[in-house]
Amino acid sequence: MDDNEKKKLLDLFASKLTRAAKMYLENCTRCGVCVEACHVYASSKETRYTAVGRAQNIRRLYEKYFKSSGKVAAWLNEAVELDDEWMEKIYETAYTCTGCRRCMTFCPFGIDTQLIQSIAKLMLIGADMEPKVLSMLADVSITKGQNIEATKETFAEAVRRLEAEVVEKWRGEAGGDAIPLDVQDADVLYVALAGKHSIIPAAAIMNAAGERWSLSYFEAVNFGAFVGHPQKTKEIAQRIISEAERLRAKEVVICECGTAYRVMKHMTGEHPFKVITFVELIARYLREGRIQLDKSKTKGRITYHDPCQIARNGGIYEEPRYILRLLTDDFVDMVPNRQANWCCGGGGGLVVIGEKDFRMKSAKVKAQQVQATHANILCTACENCHSQLTDLNEHYGLGVNVQFLSNLVAEALVQEEAAKPAEEPIPLRTSVNW
Amino acid sequence: MRVTMTDKILYFIMVPMVYLAFAWFLVGSVVTISGVLKAPKLPNTLRIFPETKVRSPRLAAVVDALTLPTVRIHKPLLWFFLIVFHLGVGALLLAHLDLIPQIRVTSADSPHMIGYGAVGVVLTISVLYLLFRRFKTPVREFSVPSDYLLLFLLFCVFLTGDVISWGNSWSPDGFVITKQDLGLYLSSLVQFTFEDPRTVLSGSHYPLVALHVLLANLFLMVLPFSKIMHSFFAIPLATLRRV
Repeated sequence: MDDNEKKKLLDLFASKLTRAAKMYLENCTRCGVCVEACHVYASSKETRYTAVGRAQNIRRLYEKYFKSSGKVAAWLNEAVELDDEWMEKIYETAYTCTGCRRCMTFCPFGIDTQLIQSIAKLMLIGADMEPKVLSMLADVSITKGQNIEATKETFAEAVRRLEAEVVEKWRGEAGGDAIPLDVQDADVLYVALAGKHSIIPAAAIMNAAGERWSLSYFEAVNFGAFVGHPQKTKEIAQRIISEAERLRAKEVVICECGTAYRVMKHMTGEHPFKVITFVELIARYLREGRIQLDKSKTKGRITYHDPCQIARNGGIYEEPRYILRLLTDDFVDMVPNRQANWCCGGGGGLVVIGEKDFRMKSAKVKAQQVQATHANILCTACENCHSQLTDLNEHYGLGVNVQFLSNLVAEALVQEEAAKPAEEPIPLRTSVNW
Repeated sequence: MRVTMTDKILYFIMVPMVYLAFAWFLVGSVVTISGVLKAPKLPNTLRIFPETKVRSPRLAAVVDALTLPTVRIHKPLLWFFLIVFHLGVGALLLAHLDLIPQIRVTSADSPHMIGYGAVGVVLTISVLYLLFRRFKTPVREFSVPSDYLLLFLLFCVFLTGDVISWGNSWSPDGFVITKQDLGLYLSSLVQFTFEDPRTVLSGSHYPLVALHVLLANLFLMVLPFSKIMHSFFAIPLATLRRV
């Protein structure tokens, strides 16, 4: 690594030295309380896979380049030179951690490993060592935002093809759009993922509730956050913010995607609209009696995996449990759960990158936790978690049916008109309201 | 009386170095704290959502910082020693302030420090626990030399304090250096008289007191540049998690 390269990487490091980051880097006492918090350590017993172990890779650089003690007596805090070899450690810091922040519930000071990890991710981008698939997907999202006018009609056509499947789940009022787009003054702007699994059940539920909603043109997932690029994260989120502002939406409802929710809710500042998860919206519909569920539709014992970004990092603990109690009489919580729930092992971009071998080994503890519930259905409210849990199910032979919570709800919707079939078939959308 | 080099060194440790150490500590602390405060504030929240019985997040953060609930839940033995240690440090500071005649809270003629020496012993045991656990896996694997050295320095400070507190009563005539003697020494420091402490701290235990003061001076000088600054940052850190 030449001096220019080193300087560039250290400048990137310095750009991340906020007040919080400095406090996190300077005050860890290495007490080791966080050690058992990490699912990777719990599954592998390797101390490099602990919050403190990973943070030390960054802290030792900080000591060397940003602290006087590191210059006077490097040995005191084991300050290290930044070189190519150490960048491998930086990669390990960034991409063996899912950013679940379970360690924050162990650390006496609440040190946020994800924030320290974000320094590592930015340095990797600077060194052109980040997983390229994440950068590429982030760029695709940004390009889509820049060329939305050109892609709108194609998107609308694709959406129209899905409407029949929505109607299969819920027969709406005649004349309504099963998947509305560009609805001005919508009460809900629903931001889905690029896949019908996150659109169809949600559309059926919102239609059943008689919601005035609009589907966003943009996918919720923020690959900029996964790769740790602050500007890209902002640009990707801004597409949705601009759309919500243009439509004057009252609420932006994020589909079952933990990172998307956390970025939009907690990392993009104040907005003229409210940001909630789709799980909260379902719970609200049930509380207000706007939808009803038929318990007989869900067979077998159900357990729920709290997605880290929605539960521990978002505070959504009770809503999914409220929904599940209305879905089944056989719901069993995992142990531990809520803030203490084990991460699935797929966050932080790991599912997207692949890393299947690591993901499976590092989430052994999660598999054991699922197995202990003796559940037939394992449901969750996050795309990443769903993918990872599906892989775990296959790898460890857990024998569970991995489901999205929204899908279970959509399947159990009570069709009030079931006894009296609709007189006219529901027309599908034929135009896009712009 | 002939002033030897040893006398000069002991005087330096007992008087000028104490002022230097305090000044160093104050300047160092200001530099370290302002270095953190000058850094830009993160625009977004870092909070997580732990379940709590305390409704106010800020109050909950203070409770977190002072009672270490996460350690109590996950490492009860460590929590016990940490709480004993931190309470002991508080009691120790109080006991040292109590030595100064102008702010004494206990009876003026009492020969004992607050805690009758037990505070120092409890601290010594606690710091030994904190030190020894660093030699055990997994803590050993991410501990750095400064972790051991700081705890060892604290151990030495406490141990010499214990010896002064307990050992000085071993003379058949009772206390060699009384609480009142130490009070006069501290009083002269507070009043900047620059008097030679030997005039009030007579007896053969004087070098031990000087050793104790030397170690305490070193600790004060190291503190602003060490992780012990968490004593200033614990509440702000806990607030980041809650607010």
